[in-house]
Amino acid sequence: MRRRSLLRALPALSGLPVLPRPAAAASRPLPRTLRFSWAGNAGPLHPHRYAPNQMYAQAMLYEPLVRYMEGGRLAPALATAWEREDDGRGYVFTLRPGLRFTDGAPFDAAAVVANIRALLAQPSRHNWLELVAQIEDVEAVDPGTVRLRLRGPYHPALMELALIRPLRFASPAVLRPDGGVDAPIGTGPWLLAETHPGQHDLFRRNPGYWGEPPALEQVMVRVVSDSNTRALALEAGEIDLVYGTDQLDADTFRRFAADRRFTTAISPPLATRLVALNSARFPTDDPAVRRAIAHGIDRAALVRHVLLDTEPAAGTLFAENFPYTGLGLRAPAFDRAAAVALLEQAGWHLPPGARLRQREGRELVLDLCFTGGDALQKALAEAMQGDLARIGIGARLLGEDSATYLGRQKSGEFGMIFADTWGAPYDPHAFLGSMRQPAHADYQAQRGLPMKDEVDRRIGAVLATTDEEKRAAEYRWLLTTLHEQAVYFPISFLTNKLVHRADLGAVPFGGTRYEIPFDRIRPHG
Amino acid sequence: MRRILLPLAVALVALLLGAALLAPWIAPNDPEATDIARRLLPPSAGNWLGTDHLGRDLLSRLLWGARASFGAVAAILVLVLALGCAVGTLAGMAGGVVDAVLMRVCDAFMTVPTLVLALFMIGALGTGIANVVVAIALSHWAWYARLVRGLTLSLRQREHILAARVAGLSRLAILRRHVLPVLAGQLAVLASLDLGHWMLHLAGLSFLGLGLAPPAPEWGIMINDARPFFRTAPMLVLLPGAAILLTVMAFNLLGDALRDRLDPALRGHAH
Repeated sequence: MRRRSLLRALPALSGLPVLPRPAAAASRPLPRTLRFSWAGNAGPLHPHRYAPNQMYAQAMLYEPLVRYMEGGRLAPALATAWEREDDGRGYVFTLRPGLRFTDGAPFDAAAVVANIRALLAQPSRHNWLELVAQIEDVEAVDPGTVRLRLRGPYHPALMELALIRPLRFASPAVLRPDGGVDAPIGTGPWLLAETHPGQHDLFRRNPGYWGEPPALEQVMVRVVSDSNTRALALEAGEIDLVYGTDQLDADTFRRFAADRRFTTAISPPLATRLVALNSARFPTDDPAVRRAIAHGIDRAALVRHVLLDTEPAAGTLFAENFPYTGLGLRAPAFDRAAAVALLEQAGWHLPPGARLRQREGRELVLDLCFTGGDALQKALAEAMQGDLARIGIGARLLGEDSATYLGRQKSGEFGMIFADTWGAPYDPHAFLGSMRQPAHADYQAQRGLPMKDEVDRRIGAVLATTDEEKRAAEYRWLLTTLHEQAVYFPISFLTNKLVHRADLGAVPFGGTRYEIPFDRIRPHG
Repeated sequence: MRRILLPLAVALVALLLGAALLAPWIAPNDPEATDIARRLLPPSAGNWLGTDHLGRDLLSRLLWGARASFGAVAAILVLVLALGCAVGTLAGMAGGVVDAVLMRVCDAFMTVPTLVLALFMIGALGTGIANVVVAIALSHWAWYARLVRGLTLSLRQREHILAARVAGLSRLAILRRHVLPVLAGQLAVLASLDLGHWMLHLAGLSFLGLGLAPPAPEWGIMINDARPFFRTAPMLVLLPGAAILLTVMAFNLLGDALRDRLDPALRGHAH
């Protein structure tokens, strides 16, 4: 007892940031308000823009034509029905009738056209997304029907229409000619009521929402940048829910899981936590080194002791619950002897008394790059460094600020680098699509592969083909090739983790990594 | 009280310095050897202070961390003294335009808060322990240059210096024989008071991940690494924190004691 109270006082004494302790610890400020926290403010909430707009908040206000459900299924959202035209280049959407934006403007074909034209006017912002380049035109057939014409057949079109951004819709009244929005006005279950920079954002239930109304009346999102502070706030009753991939560190999550006052849950795999290996740079340009690394790192130990089993181990680039990915590929088993044998065969020998292998006088050393401020990446990197040292591979750890780290992803100045996949609904197709862009770590990692040209060509084919069987075959070839070439070391499948007080009620998981289903939370009482 | 201050401070500094110098021989384990299956263990015969989140021996990391911290602080000391003495004596001896220009440069350095200046310089130079040392030294030398210049100016007019000049001694010789020895005492006091301050800067910048590359042990890095485990394994934060506290305190005591010894005014009061 005494130890506990002492520990509680410590953060305050040591000057750690602690939220002010309001009386709210016992009583909630308003009925049916959920208090959540996020690392920063929601941003200006433009449906077509990226950072600093927060995806969870964009998903609260704006809706897609079709919605992505777990496993890659599509469900009606703002469109009730859709049909692909015979040449594979056109889609006709029947819009849900009678919908209004929260400013009262009707959601109709003209609104869809205005939004899509607005984002087509700034194509450079959306380079990463193939669909935007593929859209040739969009037209209103009648107020309830929209026709989307593409330049060529593009199979993942519907998947990309389901993304949180950029293909969602703001009221045409707020779209400015310069591409900005005057106010965040969408059709979604929530509207933004208040925003205070550095303090909080307040979302209120949209009273005219077309779908099932949320049980909660308000969602208050406090700005809490530090995961320790977040954990303390949850414990003190200052926030009700923690939800996300890395909102809490694994130890803290485990502590809450063991505490009967709290409910914790882990979602199915949403994306892949992985390290990309540079096939165009010494020494990982040697396939034997890449395969030795695949054998030499103890993935199970990383998952058990660093991630504390909050994420399942990943043996493949994508989890098998994604479309076209259930191929039965298996990661090379952790086997130091096999790793050493591979290196020896390839001419990497350990000189007497040395700790690092050499070939032709060059030491087997690579740069392992991560974001310096990310405690989890750092711990994983240090543990991997320890494993690699045991097979005679030296890893220089380069923990840098995120701008430098992203610069390395783009320029290819890395031996190994953390590069997570994007998760549903981007995986696998949009993520594969980006492998053709030199500004991505994946392109850089694969650049040295003898079959890189064929990989790029086949990615183009898989995105264009309308033949289901051919598509599956192309995916099989692509994923198998990348797997065999060992340009990725998958660590684990990212999951969303949630923690809340047991008396809060039922909190489900969203279908994708960045969607938080506030509208489906059912509080008790 | 004052009488025991100096021996106490010297003993403390000697103890810490000894730990730093002897780390390779007295550390029971390899400070960088990870064994994640043995993470966050409590103290035991094999690991006297337990293990960290990657199963590394905490005692060994603390000892090697002392080595890193002391080494870096020593480098900062050398840089600051070299730069401060060079600029200060040059300004003091030359006077005129040279003095004015050099002192305005000092002013520029002194107007910006040291930590902000250090962060700015690391931003420009890049991360790494060498750059952190340079950044801390560059953000602190100006005070030394000022002090040295002031002392040099006052010394320049003293009779024995004038006599030396009349006797035909070169400026360099005067500097070496008659100015620097007087400066040494004053600088020793100022530096010993600042050592602790630099140590905190160093730990702070390392805490931000700007200093030594992982997995090298350093006290600031150790505290930052241990933050996620503050509730489950508080010793991982408290022990490196205590090491920093003890070291800074020891240097401050040493500085105070030296000042008391060397400052004639205070010595008068003591008796």
